[in-house]
Amino acid sequence: MGQLFESVIMAIKAILQNKTRAFLTMLGIIIGILSVSLMGTAISGIDEVFENSIQGMGQDVLYVQKYPWFMMNDEWWEYRNRPDIEEKYAEQILERASTIAFATPSTGRRSDVKYGKNAVERVEINGTTWQEAYISALKLESGRFFSEPESRYGTRVAVIGYDIKTSLFPNEDPLGKEIIIQGNTFRIIGVIAQQGKFLGLMSMDNIVTIPLNSLKNIFGGRWGMSISVKPKEGVTVEQAKEELMFIMRGLRGLKPQEENNFSINQQEAFRQQFASIRMAISVVGIGITALSLIVGGIGIMNIMFVSVRERTKEIGIRKALGAKKNIILFQFLSEAVIISLIGGTIGILITVGLVGLLQKFFVARLSIDLIIISLSVSVITGILSGMVPANLAARLNPIEAIRYE
Amino acid sequence: MALLELKQVTKVYQVGTVAVHALRGIDLMVEKNEYVSVMGPSGSGKSTLMNVIGCLDTPTSGTYILDGKTVHDDRIEQSSVGKLSDDDLAFVRNQKIGFVFQTFNLLPRITALHNVELPLIYAGIHKKDRLDMAKEALRKVNLEDRMHHQPNELSGGQRQRVAIARALVNNPSIILADEPTGNLDSKTSREIMQLMDHLHDEGNTIILVTHETDIAQHAHRVVHFLDGLIASDEFTPKGKG
Repeated sequence: MGQLFESVIMAIKAILQNKTRAFLTMLGIIIGILSVSLMGTAISGIDEVFENSIQGMGQDVLYVQKYPWFMMNDEWWEYRNRPDIEEKYAEQILERASTIAFATPSTGRRSDVKYGKNAVERVEINGTTWQEAYISALKLESGRFFSEPESRYGTRVAVIGYDIKTSLFPNEDPLGKEIIIQGNTFRIIGVIAQQGKFLGLMSMDNIVTIPLNSLKNIFGGRWGMSISVKPKEGVTVEQAKEELMFIMRGLRGLKPQEENNFSINQQEAFRQQFASIRMAISVVGIGITALSLIVGGIGIMNIMFVSVRERTKEIGIRKALGAKKNIILFQFLSEAVIISLIGGTIGILITVGLVGLLQKFFVARLSIDLIIISLSVSVITGILSGMVPANLAARLNPIEAIRYE
Repeated sequence: MALLELKQVTKVYQVGTVAVHALRGIDLMVEKNEYVSVMGPSGSGKSTLMNVIGCLDTPTSGTYILDGKTVHDDRIEQSSVGKLSDDDLAFVRNQKIGFVFQTFNLLPRITALHNVELPLIYAGIHKKDRLDMAKEALRKVNLEDRMHHQPNELSGGQRQRVAIARALVNNPSIILADEPTGNLDSKTSREIMQLMDHLHDEGNTIILVTHETDIAQHAHRVVHFLDGLIASDEFTPKGKG
């Protein structure tokens, strides 16, 4: 114990004797740990934004749609020939299914939305039924969703997203105010809580939701629908999906050997897609940032060779006095690890500061795990880069070392 | 049984393609509490002998027994007994040898006390006992009052006394002094030699390498080296008396 303690003390003294040199060496590790931990922070930030934005879709919601969410470019032509999803399927599904609690058709158009002098261009106008309130996990900031009668009669009421609210009503309460969509007046009855964006995907903040029947009235025409389906309590998504598939095949009159001419989409697909993107970002990002850590490690190795050379005589004296190989090894290894660990700690502290700053602009999270991982990585870097020089020191011949000037 | 026994010890160095025979078959016995000077011109093999005795180096052939421990014996086949590993040699140095060097070889930037503590640290002695022993050793060389000074704050003579305290501190079987006065003026040299004489009087065994005849005369026995062999081995007037 005393020997190890002595080694660590001597290692610290050696670093203190050459503060400038030690700091310059640390700089490599500081930059390395800084970039690795920032990259880690960015990745967990992306995770969080993703989770936030798919929450609006509802964990267990299934979507019956013409196209699958993810497809190859050339596949589109194939899916294009499928028949449209019809509005009436929603009711038919509810009649036949035992596992499904809610099913609603919905569709969308783009239109300008005006309030007084304020206007937002090309807003996604989403037409759906009252059931949507029970299907999606949308949280309302204020007001309410439209009711069953409003839904049925196509009442001119609207639930607006957070961005729409801030654009049209910077200084007033939007509830009860009337907005103009396609020349028609809609009364605002609810505001959806802010949701955040993920790569511009699926943000409900920029959407105006109105009853499907009023959407059909003001835009006219026929469109393909998307049917949102929510399973009953105690039923797994997979069970519901299986029944839904069966019912849809029946509605479409498909023979057993025929392929589905519709798609059942679910959040899981997003998750899988996201997982592969995230993996790519992680591998490339961590890989590149790890390079800077390797450069830092090489810097330590370099300075440790210098340190061993400078203290060759000291090593000789210690060996003459009875220091065994491992003690010498440990002394130089501790020096490398201490330099690396201090560098890593400084790197983490800078990261903590930067993350605090970054949080003002986008979601960034520095987890305890990441801090522990970063510190472990810096210790490992110290050990790896100190190993060869320390081993060199441990193997020095005491007679030659003690004569070294 | 002799404290130190060398039988037909040889040492051959390979310098490039040339084999240098530094020791050509040395027989030497030193008894406990002997005071031996080793003399000889440079290249005569006396430094090599000191390295072998001090377990800093191993013989090429022959037998070396120190204080009952077989350090090297090429008659024994098993390497575990006949030839010690580097760490075993470090252990023997730590337990049985006290070195005093010409250039003091103190560690810079640590105190005299810490320097004296070093062999005890490597012996694994507990901090409290260690400090007591180190202070006691410094007291023996009259440097108690300077123990918190670093080597660069001490005179040459004081440094050598710290080194001697360090050599003494682990109660070694033998003190090996390699030109201990080589870097000191004559007055300081006398003081150091008085200290060496005193240590011998206290029962220590000392082997002293020197090329100065008057220094060598402090010992009781002088061994002359020439070309890797012992040329003469005689008692001094002190030893006869």
